[in-house]
Amino acid sequence: MFELELQQVSHQFSHDELLKNVSLQIRKGEKWVLIGPSGQGKTTLLKTLAGILAPTEGRVLIQGQNLLALRGEKRDQLQRKMGMLFQKNALFDSLTVADNVAFPLRETTRLPESEIQRRVQFYLNSVGLEHVLHNFPDEISGGMQKRLGIARALALEPEIIFYDDPTAGLDPITSRKIIELILDLQKKNNSTLVAITNDMKRAYQMADRIGFVLRGNFILTGTVEETRQHSDQRVQQFIRGALQGPLTAGVS
Amino acid sequence: MVFMRIKVLIDDIGGGILFLGQIILTAIRTPAKIDLTLEQIYKVTAQSFATTAMAGFFVGAIMTIQFTMQLNEFSALEYLGGISTSATLREVGPLLIAFMLSGKVGAFTAAELGTMRVTEQIDAIRCLGANPIREIIVPRFFGIVTASFVLLSGGLVLSIIGGLLMGGLFAEVSFQEYVRHIPTLVTMPSIFNGLFKSFVFAFLIATICTYRGYTATGGAKGVGKAVLQTAVACMIAIVLSDWVTTVFTDTALTLIRGE
Repeated sequence: MFELELQQVSHQFSHDELLKNVSLQIRKGEKWVLIGPSGQGKTTLLKTLAGILAPTEGRVLIQGQNLLALRGEKRDQLQRKMGMLFQKNALFDSLTVADNVAFPLRETTRLPESEIQRRVQFYLNSVGLEHVLHNFPDEISGGMQKRLGIARALALEPEIIFYDDPTAGLDPITSRKIIELILDLQKKNNSTLVAITNDMKRAYQMADRIGFVLRGNFILTGTVEETRQHSDQRVQQFIRGALQGPLTAGVS
Repeated sequence: MVFMRIKVLIDDIGGGILFLGQIILTAIRTPAKIDLTLEQIYKVTAQSFATTAMAGFFVGAIMTIQFTMQLNEFSALEYLGGISTSATLREVGPLLIAFMLSGKVGAFTAAELGTMRVTEQIDAIRCLGANPIREIIVPRFFGIVTASFVLLSGGLVLSIIGGLLMGGLFAEVSFQEYVRHIPTLVTMPSIFNGLFKSFVFAFLIATICTYRGYTATGGAKGVGKAVLQTAVACMIAIVLSDWVTTVFTDTALTLIRGE
């Protein structure tokens, strides 16, 4: 049984086909990175994998179960096995840093408050935010918000974790630190990881396998080395950041 | 084009009804978040008390001034208190105060929820294994219904005081004279009518603003659109439901009296 599986998934919004017949399988503990030009379906694919978006066709299986067909507590239970860092963090702006991390623990577990506080402290220490516990999200920097998003996503110790562009807008040193943190936490929990990034250095740093998303199509490019050697010229142009090539043909 | 608009309108109404069903089912099936609901009641009441109190007071005052001019012509000022209070309680008071509330509470809630939607906070709640309807909609819905009903009722009380004050200042009708005919014209069914309307308006404002905010899409522009749609939909819903409740309560009273 695969940890995550898409079976011929298509996603149509209005007249736009955002995903076209995508099938993929991800094993437990694997680290996947999705790359591809902006606005071509990476986030749609990630949200479909996470069960946030319902595909118009096909099936999404999480640990063998169709999340979208489940209702009530069964669905919530499966959802709790997953964590997600959103592209713009999606932090609860009316809650403090500590309460953002405590939120999933308070709302979905029956842990005593002392244990919740212990976990909040642990995850905020892990991401280096122990000194801003009582600040609100808009009172901390972009990098700190990103780290807070990671701490909140990890608070329920999810078995599967999704990161939508975890280093977007961050400087190279902070980006590297964030990826190291993500990998440390992944290793510690042996979780399955799916991330989106367009920063190829960070993609190579993270990935066991890489997938390329282009105009709603999914191309599995393989391991880091296989991706570097991939025969598709569109993949080559993208990973090298070349101005000339099939991706920009006809674009002045 | 016209058919498309009608289709969109029907879709919208259907979506709103399904959303309301979801709120009620969630409230029945899952334990209530009493603390969050009380917080919402407090927030809505504190935010809007001054506005509704002022609206109520001046509605009563304006009605008294209008009726003074009419009743003076018939030398029937002794009925001023009764007629003004009855008209305010039964019709104008709930209607105007509900308009004020829809502009304040409705717009605020739609903007708040819409922002949560477009910044993916609602998706984040779902992703963290919690139910967003239970976490943020149910407390707001019942908070708004309760607080709006209380505010509307309070506004009606203040409208009586406004009318009474203006009766003395503008029409020079004494306190005793003003209140003498109130019991004659303001019967229990009149009060019930005003309160029933207030409840219906509160229910509609809560449903529309939570639905519009929860289903907002498209960034800041989408939030603005949700707020605008909330304001327009609330106004239309309040006016239409006012007509329906008036017909309904009058028919019910006629049947009860056996006329």
